[in-house]
Amino acid sequence: MLRAAHLTKRVESGDRSLTILNALDLEVFPGESLAILGQSGAGKSTLLGLLAGLDAPTSGELALFGEPLGALDEDGRAALRAGRVGFVFQNFQLLPTLTALENVLLPLELAPGADAEARARDWLARVGLGERLDHLPKQLSGGEQQRVALARAFVTGAELVFADEPTGNLDPATGERVIDTLFALNREAGTTLVLVTHDRALARRCDRCLELVEGRMREAEPEELGA
Amino acid sequence: MRGRHLHALRLSWRGLRRDLRAGDVRALFLALTLAVAAATMIGFFLDRLERGLTRQAGQLLGGDVVLEQSRPFEAELRAALEEAGLALSDQVDMVSMVRHGEAFQPVSVKAVDDAYPHYGESLVDRGAGREALASGPARGTAWIAPRLALLLNLETGDTLRLGRAELEVGGVIEREADPSAGFGSFNPRLMIHLDDLAATGLVQPGSRIEYELLAAGPAAAVERVMPRLERLRAAGVEVRDVRRDRPRLGSALARADRYLSLAGLAAVLLAGVAVAMATRRYVERHLDTAALLRCFGARQAELVRLFALQLLWLALAASALGALLGLAGQAALLALLGALVAVELPPPGPAPLVLGVLTALAVLAGFAGPTLLRLRRVSALKVLRRELDPLPASAWLVVGVAGLVFGALLWLYSGDPGLSLVLLVGGALAGGLLWGLGGVLLAGLLALCARLPRRDDAGPLQALRLGGRQLARRRATSLGQLLAFSVALFAMAMIALVRGDLVDAWRDQLPADTPNHFAINIQPGERDAFEAALGEAAASRSALYPMVRGRLTAIDGRPPRQAVPEEARGDNALRRELNLTWRASLPEGNRLVAGEWFAPRAGGAAGGWVEAAEAGPGAARVPISVESGLAERLGLALGDTLTFTIGSAAITGEIESLRELDWDSFRPNFYVIFPPGVLERFGHSYITAFHLDGADREALRGLVRDFPGVTLLDVEAILERVREVLARVTRAVELVLAFVLLAGVSVLHAALTASLPVRAHEAGLLRVFGAGNRLLARVQGAEYALLGLASGLLAAGLAELAAAGLYGGWLELTPRWHPELWLGLPAAGAVLVGGIGLWLSRGLRRRAPAESLALLGET
Repeated sequence: MLRAAHLTKRVESGDRSLTILNALDLEVFPGESLAILGQSGAGKSTLLGLLAGLDAPTSGELALFGEPLGALDEDGRAALRAGRVGFVFQNFQLLPTLTALENVLLPLELAPGADAEARARDWLARVGLGERLDHLPKQLSGGEQQRVALARAFVTGAELVFADEPTGNLDPATGERVIDTLFALNREAGTTLVLVTHDRALARRCDRCLELVEGRMREAEPEELGA
Repeated sequence: MRGRHLHALRLSWRGLRRDLRAGDVRALFLALTLAVAAATMIGFFLDRLERGLTRQAGQLLGGDVVLEQSRPFEAELRAALEEAGLALSDQVDMVSMVRHGEAFQPVSVKAVDDAYPHYGESLVDRGAGREALASGPARGTAWIAPRLALLLNLETGDTLRLGRAELEVGGVIEREADPSAGFGSFNPRLMIHLDDLAATGLVQPGSRIEYELLAAGPAAAVERVMPRLERLRAAGVEVRDVRRDRPRLGSALARADRYLSLAGLAAVLLAGVAVAMATRRYVERHLDTAALLRCFGARQAELVRLFALQLLWLALAASALGALLGLAGQAALLALLGALVAVELPPPGPAPLVLGVLTALAVLAGFAGPTLLRLRRVSALKVLRRELDPLPASAWLVVGVAGLVFGALLWLYSGDPGLSLVLLVGGALAGGLLWGLGGVLLAGLLALCARLPRRDDAGPLQALRLGGRQLARRRATSLGQLLAFSVALFAMAMIALVRGDLVDAWRDQLPADTPNHFAINIQPGERDAFEAALGEAAASRSALYPMVRGRLTAIDGRPPRQAVPEEARGDNALRRELNLTWRASLPEGNRLVAGEWFAPRAGGAAGGWVEAAEAGPGAARVPISVESGLAERLGLALGDTLTFTIGSAAITGEIESLRELDWDSFRPNFYVIFPPGVLERFGHSYITAFHLDGADREALRGLVRDFPGVTLLDVEAILERVREVLARVTRAVELVLAFVLLAGVSVLHAALTASLPVRAHEAGLLRVFGAGNRLLARVQGAEYALLGLASGLLAAGLAELAAAGLYGGWLELTPRWHPELWLGLPAAGAVLVGGIGLWLSRGLRRRAPAESLALLGET
């Protein structure tokens, strides 16, 4: 599904070079849920950006759905994502002028499809917002907004969903409910899930857990996670 | 593929509908609608008004085109004119003698047909008071001028004799529908029906008769027959058309026309600036959408297509609404003016509509295009790292593209590529200058504010200091707003300024004491007495000019018809006797444009000139001064010789100077002036013009009684008509000015609306730190007022520069310094921007800080 070899990301800042990711190797298998743990500033979001093809590595190989990303330009990578990759963001990334339904419709509208609206309604119903279709983001609570984002991530029938600190902006109880929904949808749809978080309790719920430390990746042991 | 395109269309349409919930899209829509409304309203109005005014000028002339020759016109020519879509009316003019009882009087006969008049109405008293009639006299009757009634003691119902025909006086005509047509004749008017002409027996071989064919119809029809008319002109037929025949009125119209298109352009420029301001915010808000769509797999090209299509829908919808508004606006305008613009206007044509839509698309592409391209460069990674906004489009690119598009619009509106280029290059230079100066000015003002003494209370000084600091914090945005406001104030000031000077120029053209009477046939013996009598009665008068009638019989020794350019062969000056005068000094209102005025001649001027005049070729010739327009028409230059036949004598003069004069000054004007000492020996009389107050009929009667031989001509009617046209044009110009001012205010509104979220955030912060309503209002007011003040200063400089260029180059007005700009604009800027800003942000001051702070997060 997703394979990275010797993935390196360096950023130049003035005359200094900062290595954020240092020759990482990683493989994600179909249907599994993988947590990537790391402290704030460890490079988790950078890694997620690279894995999703939103950014290009300084060096190393990366293949998504078997396609080497290095051979594709921005547009090629976008085309590879279309309909197959879903996202959930820490800050929800809902468009403020669109209703809940319209926000969920957004990824569906990129390709012609007859039943887009019915699917969007269905997914919103599944996350428990069937009655809030016409509400704007500012009329929804944080948890509800993130549930809209979940519906949007799954509505295209994505094979792979990236989640970046999905509970980072929520209180623990709300975050818990959102995560329950995320895992339920993931199971239901048989989706592969890559979840980036600093929350060990959340990481525990995934099939596998890796930890990003000083630009390198290591397996996190269950005891480290407090299991 | 087709399905994909359809999908893109549907998607963009849906996106736009959702987007209308956002303030910036509404602002963009409003700005575009305004651009189209302004362009179409001014377009429709101008189009119709111009056609209407041209028609009114046509009324002065009697038709849109008037042909004149000394024999009847051929049926074939009539057929050709009619086929082109022109309506024809025949007139015959001649001078003859009319008899009533034992009294005789020479009259200027005008015989008109049933089609008379093409335009307007005559004022006739048929015994039952003054009536406005759109027809000529009935067969068997004659309309007579009041002067003729007075001279021959005639009344309505009396019978007079013209040639062999007896005609009944059908009415006294106080104003002819086509007054200028009779101006050339000094005899009182007698108007009859064309069918009665044969019965008078006056049309004989050799009699001096002018046949006129008056044609009226749409400009396109006149254009169609122009080549043919040019040929006729070359063949010696006099051809007058609305724009050529009355130069001053023509230039007033042309200037009004240019002014109105200038105003239209200013409105479009203003709307363009508003679009640019609104687009910035639109793009900033859509960066997130673009990044998300990139995340979901949209390609760059798809993004571009999506946003371009969305904006295209927006432009089309704005065009439709704008055009409707424009149409309704011009109709409302005309309804409002109603009685004022009594010109009968043709219905609106489709051209302004097309222009309006084109304008919307051009404004959008030009003023929003480069900014929009920023959306294309959004990285998908922005969804993870918010700070990853693509760099704003280079200011140079934005201004450059907008400049080019505006230049193209300039060209389209003015039809003058040279002028467009000059304005564009000038605009670019001014823009660069503005940018630099704006930066310096802003920095200076802010430094000044920072030095204001610190106070603890929330007084005005404190507010100025805080307001200045807020501006300084957002230096780049402030500079952008400063430039936008400067351009808006500049455009508003220009239009107001030019309007003032234009109207002044028109007013100066015909001051209140413009002569409204001419006195001719003043004999040398009664000259002094008449002058004295006039000195008492008249409010103002011109000098007395001696007048000798002579025919131009040779140019450089060749018959005039052969010597002049082909198109001048039908010129009036070759077909009629010219009024010649002599004078030692340049007449009032004349300007020398070439050569020298007559130098005093040694050895006694008179003797010397006469010898010279009568000496054969090769001897020193009499110097003469010729009117520059005539010289241009006849292809005359300094050094050319003109031979005039006066009675049985011939006198040759050499052109020593060319003069420019105002033919519509209502003063005696002469094509050719001799130095004193040459023409005195020929029979001559004097002419003068004077102003008599309308009420002072007694003075006029006194003059008529004391000087029965002197002919007095009342030109008040013509004067009034010309004044009326100028007054109407002035009103139209003022109305358009009001629209431009409105458009300017809307720019300020759009720009300030676009900056509200940032200001809301600042207000929220100040609130959190404990600022009260009063302080908030003062700080915001100070900030806006500072911005307005600086914009006003910049705009004043720019307007001064542009006015100097425009006046000389385009509007033919004398450039002048405008100190009022330097005082008025900064003050107006501070008040306008301060006022609108305060009014717009009143909601912010009422809002809870939490809400204001959240607002920025949504952007």
